[in-house]
Amino acid sequence: MLALGSHVAVAASPDPTEQLRPFLEKVTATLADPGLKSKSRQAQSDQMISVIRERFDFREMSRRVIGQQWRNLSEKEQAEFERLFTQLLQYAYVGKIDDYSNQQQIRYTQQRVRDDRAEVQTLLVDRNKSIPIFYIMILRNDQWMIYDVVVEGVSLIRNYMEQFSEIQRKDGYPGLVKQLKDKVAELEKNLNKS
Amino acid sequence: MERRLRRLCLLLAMIAVMFSGHVAVAAEFSAGSASFERFAGAVDFLSDDSYEKPISEVKVSDPIEPFNRAMFAVNDKFYIWLLEPVATGYSKVLPNDIRLCIGNFFYNLGEPIRSVNCLLQGRFRDTGRTLGRFLINSIFGVFGLADPAGDEFAIAPVYANFGQTLSVWGVGDGFYLVAPLLGPSTLRDFSGTVVDGFASTTYTPWNDDTLTTTTVQAAKAVNRTSLHLGEYLDIKSMSFDSYVAFRNGYFQMRSKQYNSSNSSK
Repeated sequence: MLALGSHVAVAASPDPTEQLRPFLEKVTATLADPGLKSKSRQAQSDQMISVIRERFDFREMSRRVIGQQWRNLSEKEQAEFERLFTQLLQYAYVGKIDDYSNQQQIRYTQQRVRDDRAEVQTLLVDRNKSIPIFYIMILRNDQWMIYDVVVEGVSLIRNYMEQFSEIQRKDGYPGLVKQLKDKVAELEKNLNKS
Repeated sequence: MERRLRRLCLLLAMIAVMFSGHVAVAAEFSAGSASFERFAGAVDFLSDDSYEKPISEVKVSDPIEPFNRAMFAVNDKFYIWLLEPVATGYSKVLPNDIRLCIGNFFYNLGEPIRSVNCLLQGRFRDTGRTLGRFLINSIFGVFGLADPAGDEFAIAPVYANFGQTLSVWGVGDGFYLVAPLLGPSTLRDFSGTVVDGFASTTYTPWNDDTLTTTTVQAAKAVNRTSLHLGEYLDIKSMSFDSYVAFRNGYFQMRSKQYNSSNSSK
């Protein structure tokens, strides 16, 4: 009876860690693939972002990072912002593939689930240090999708949120879009240069 | 000649010390000196409230923002022009393992201060933990060069300082302060750092003259920077307003550290 009960619970809501694990394994495998290194920097980051997309909800990230202003944007503006913000993350983080070392190991320390939200706590361990990384996820059609990454207690979304809200306060939404475009162009240039 | 050399050393040392705090925050912000693993969750990431109105929660007042921004700019330039180049050279001379040991050594020397602060905050288990770490690492870790307490005995490092003690005693943050010596802080935490600094001079052997003290502090700063090369610039390149990015990062990180201490009372 107990076994049956737990089965039902699993069917109702899949386990976030069990979904995150194969995803992170795939990311690590792609990073470790020697074929990746032979490609151009642009192609490397394109390939990585397409893997990352499988479990990252960039629309949810965009909605949260803009805050209440999101509702006032037209559908076209929302789509444009999502595209720009995704590019920002692609070039800022995914572009840093060189930093990756094979010796890193991911430990799953804990998970918390409440309604359709989940927090999976991991520890990225290598020889010198261990970095706590939490993945914050939302349930979408039986799939847990990541919408925030918290490294050492610092949430990516909340950090950009404060920066974006100051820009919007000063220069409005158009100012924010302009700054995003400039930043993406700058990071893209640096990526292809190095 | 000798005097001139001494002066040059002193100058370099003082400048290097200035940025130690700056780097410390950059380092902990981006990658980290490890293991404040116990986490209570000051901010509940599962709750939407923490996203919808995070600003009021995370941010304290920043009434002297123009001064802070100026200080941030100064710290930034000195980091880029002096501390990072010096630390880069240093990292090429000394292998990573040795630099890690030196980092451990300095960290170990801070344990007595941490343990007193735990005591003052009524965290008795943590007091024992920090003292235990100090004893084990000083004896079996060859004066703290290794961390057998963490590696073999699984006693994780504990976060404690006098700024936190003041906060437990009910002293408010005051306001955000970018200190020329220490980088992001608040009025209360900065005062705490000063007190902790003076307290450590009572038992560290290099406080006979300013030159020695400063040299040791500079070595500590260079060593720490060498273990986190590039991280500061990475964060800067990803941010739109790096002043705001670091201020926000400082408060998010601190709320996590303070909270993890509360959970282990």
